[in-house]
Amino acid sequence: MTGITAGSLALVGYFAPLIFLGIVGFAILGLSMLKTSKKALSWITFASLGISAIMLYFLFPSNTSVYDGTIVFNHFGLYFAIVMIISAMFITYPSMYGLKAKSEIFYATLIFVTIGMIVAAFSYNLITLFIAFESVSIGTYIMASFGKEQRNLEGTIKYFFTGTIATAFILFGASFFFIDTHTFNLSVISAAAPTPELTISLIFLIVGFGFKLAIFPMHQWAIDTYDGAENSVSAFLSAGSKVLAFVVVLKMFLVGFSSDFRDVYYLFAILAILTMTYGNVSALSQNNLKRLLAYSSVAQAGYLILVLAVVGSVGNVNSNVVAVAVAAGMFYAIAYIFMKGGAFITLNTVKGDNLQVSDLSGLAKKSPGVAVGFSIMLLALAGIPLTGGFFAKYLLFLSLIEGGLWWLAVIAILNSAISVFYYFRVILYMFGKEPLKEDAFNLGNTFKIPVYVSAFLTVAISILVIWFPTMIGFAPGLFR
Amino acid sequence: MLIIFLLTILGAAFSFAVKGKRREYAVFASGIFLVLTVIYSVLRFHSGYTGGTISQETFNLASSIGIVFSTGVSGFSDALLILSAIVIFLSVIITENGKYGESLYSYILITEAGLFGILLSRDFLFFYIFWEVVLIPVYFIIAQYGERNKDSVSLKFFVYTHIGSVFLLLAIFTVYTFHYEATGVFTFEMGQLMVNTYISKIPAFWLYFALFGFLLAFLVKLPSFPVHSWLPDTYETAPYPGTVILAGGLSIMGGYGLFGILMPIYQAMGTGIMDLLMALGVISLIYFSLSAMMQQSLKRMMAFASAAAMGFVTLSFGAGLVESGYQANLELAGGMFQIVAHGLIMALIFSTLYYIKKSTGHEATHSLGGIFREAPVLSSFLLAGLLASLGLPGLAGFIGEFSILVGVYGAIGWFILAVIFGMIITASYHIWAAQKSLYGPYNERLGAIKDADRLTTVKLMGMLIVIFVLGVVPNLIYGLLLTYAGGIL
Repeated sequence: MTGITAGSLALVGYFAPLIFLGIVGFAILGLSMLKTSKKALSWITFASLGISAIMLYFLFPSNTSVYDGTIVFNHFGLYFAIVMIISAMFITYPSMYGLKAKSEIFYATLIFVTIGMIVAAFSYNLITLFIAFESVSIGTYIMASFGKEQRNLEGTIKYFFTGTIATAFILFGASFFFIDTHTFNLSVISAAAPTPELTISLIFLIVGFGFKLAIFPMHQWAIDTYDGAENSVSAFLSAGSKVLAFVVVLKMFLVGFSSDFRDVYYLFAILAILTMTYGNVSALSQNNLKRLLAYSSVAQAGYLILVLAVVGSVGNVNSNVVAVAVAAGMFYAIAYIFMKGGAFITLNTVKGDNLQVSDLSGLAKKSPGVAVGFSIMLLALAGIPLTGGFFAKYLLFLSLIEGGLWWLAVIAILNSAISVFYYFRVILYMFGKEPLKEDAFNLGNTFKIPVYVSAFLTVAISILVIWFPTMIGFAPGLFR
Repeated sequence: MLIIFLLTILGAAFSFAVKGKRREYAVFASGIFLVLTVIYSVLRFHSGYTGGTISQETFNLASSIGIVFSTGVSGFSDALLILSAIVIFLSVIITENGKYGESLYSYILITEAGLFGILLSRDFLFFYIFWEVVLIPVYFIIAQYGERNKDSVSLKFFVYTHIGSVFLLLAIFTVYTFHYEATGVFTFEMGQLMVNTYISKIPAFWLYFALFGFLLAFLVKLPSFPVHSWLPDTYETAPYPGTVILAGGLSIMGGYGLFGILMPIYQAMGTGIMDLLMALGVISLIYFSLSAMMQQSLKRMMAFASAAAMGFVTLSFGAGLVESGYQANLELAGGMFQIVAHGLIMALIFSTLYYIKKSTGHEATHSLGGIFREAPVLSSFLLAGLLASLGLPGLAGFIGEFSILVGVYGAIGWFILAVIFGMIITASYHIWAAQKSLYGPYNERLGAIKDADRLTTVKLMGMLIVIFVLGVVPNLIYGLLLTYAGGIL
């Protein structure tokens, strides 16, 4: 309608990182004609994701709202956008070994998925949020099916079908949201009183997004999918994609349903308890290594949604407790990427399919470095000090106590003590047992380096706790 | 002291880089740390100590949410620093080359760094971090070098004490949060949080929630009845250097928690909790003594004996804080002295047991028997350790138990008979164990056994001399502890 104006030029500037990534994505598809090696592709992807993160940071229009509040640029969104870019960068190098053919499709998909993630991080409108979210989901369906074995595909199909059902639930919930509020803008209704339509919408949306976040009754697909997919894809699904679901859930329920915090509190407190307990208890009896990690990531999702319970129970979004809780979630997200993603990536060092815990026997004898690195990540997942995982849990539980939810804190902390059992069982196998067979591990540098890097980052991330006050400053950005 | 602490961290980290000669490195490093700690203590505490924490330093990391690293040493923590340095040094030198893998020495050095960290930290965040950090190397010592059932026992040890720790974390959060509500300042500093005037302002429910967390963590570590069941298994399964560390080094953590952390807020705790602690102390003493009597294995027996000795510590803490005046000082200093003496004595006993196990291959009373004839030196050391442990005057164990016993009458009246009963049982099983394993007819099935060589004798003798000196001149540290207790009351 209008020509090029200063305003629309500014918009191009705002979206430059996305446009850049899009161009790179198509360029990578085009590179297939030149028979580029997958190693080169992985570096191109890595570099362009890094560049986009830097662009995002420097071109960032602070606290600007465009398209009537559909997209809001604030530090909260920026933080999560960068965290999710990091999670994608994190798997570019390790994923190389799982790719047998057509690696350009994989890397292009990864970039497109990242675009969806960035949009979701800044979006405050149910429809854009939904579309960004779906674009990520579709991309991850493709990524999960990369590979040819039958077992692999079974997990993906399960993921696809449950994902589609979840989409239906989300759309249904969104329509009830619209009936009640006559808008899709999340931040509009904060003053309205809760109505039956809103409650129905809340429940449908929780079911829909609960599938994506893999919280308790809706978690079953995750176990099979993580188990079936390539290690680095499992890492991405359980780290990056889960962080995305977490951001969306935060926005959806804490901004969209701020008038109905009582229900949000009840539902999420109950779901968190069920999810943590179920995930941890099921992991106890798992011998399959990937399923063990998958159950542990169900449990971790339970810890993550404690944030919503705290905010729901406090109610006043301007209070300090809420800021601490949200910031704790932010910190958890970044620590989670390294410890969980790293743990899945470490499995690349073990040869064979359908890994059992006992397959790790004697890893410490073969390569002490890898064993120590993996132990660091497991200790982080268990929340033992000197790792980023400790500070993540620590801030989360701190916010629970500050919010007065001592009983929830006790349940969460007992859960984290239960989880020690299965993480340490894995460590025991690595350190205490003799190797089962001579040639059980891939111990080339290409496999070792990702493990070292993620172990290092898992520890180094605890330094970030010094910037936690800054994160607390970002947190109100969630509510604008 | 901060510098020594940083050296321990560096020393532990560097040990991973040492290949081949790691034992020598560990001997050297822990010896240096011991010497440095002793020099530091003599310079710092030989005169002019008036109670409280000295040589404090604070580093702000994120002060707006209260994350600071602050350190300080009190008379009590200084005594424990020396104790842990001695125990770690002993645990390193009693091992012989090649028996254990190289990582053992790294784990031991990490444990030392962690223990120093606990004793030095004056803010709860780093206190908690080191509190947990100590667990990890000890877990690996047991899991990698332990004896039978090492998998399940090491896991039990870790999870049991970890559950205690997480409640400690919740307790810390509670006082932290309420401090913010009361004053608007986020801080983890013990000096600001552990203050009576502030603690008594916390609503009753939350106060008891916090106290429950603190006490649970500390009582698990001590251990006290009824949260002790990790102890006998862990002590028995751990390799001997590990047991020495557990008995001498880790048992101080619970005691330090009580006397170093909780003592300043005793007024807010109320007499109900004190009564409970006294009861737990007496029950621990009697129950563990009776259990020890039933044990076949000397190692397991001494594990229970160690726990029973810690019953005295709990008792003295509870009793000392309901009393007043000189009695209270005596009581508390006795309890703290008991922690130190117990650590030294148990380290001696377990080291000697290690050598006996090595030369005879046995550690059960019934399969030993009369070994005094063949190995008089080792037997004498074990006997000396046992006598010290049962509280023979002239050795360190006596001082603590004596001052506790003198003071405790004022607090518990005629229940003191129960304590004396416990002491009688303690004495009897110690003597019986000595009789059965050391004296009597020689168990010929053992064949010819080797006695301690000269080097071993020197190592054990050094330990025994420390115990003896502390028994004869307790004022070396007793005075410090009295001043510390007096400064707080």
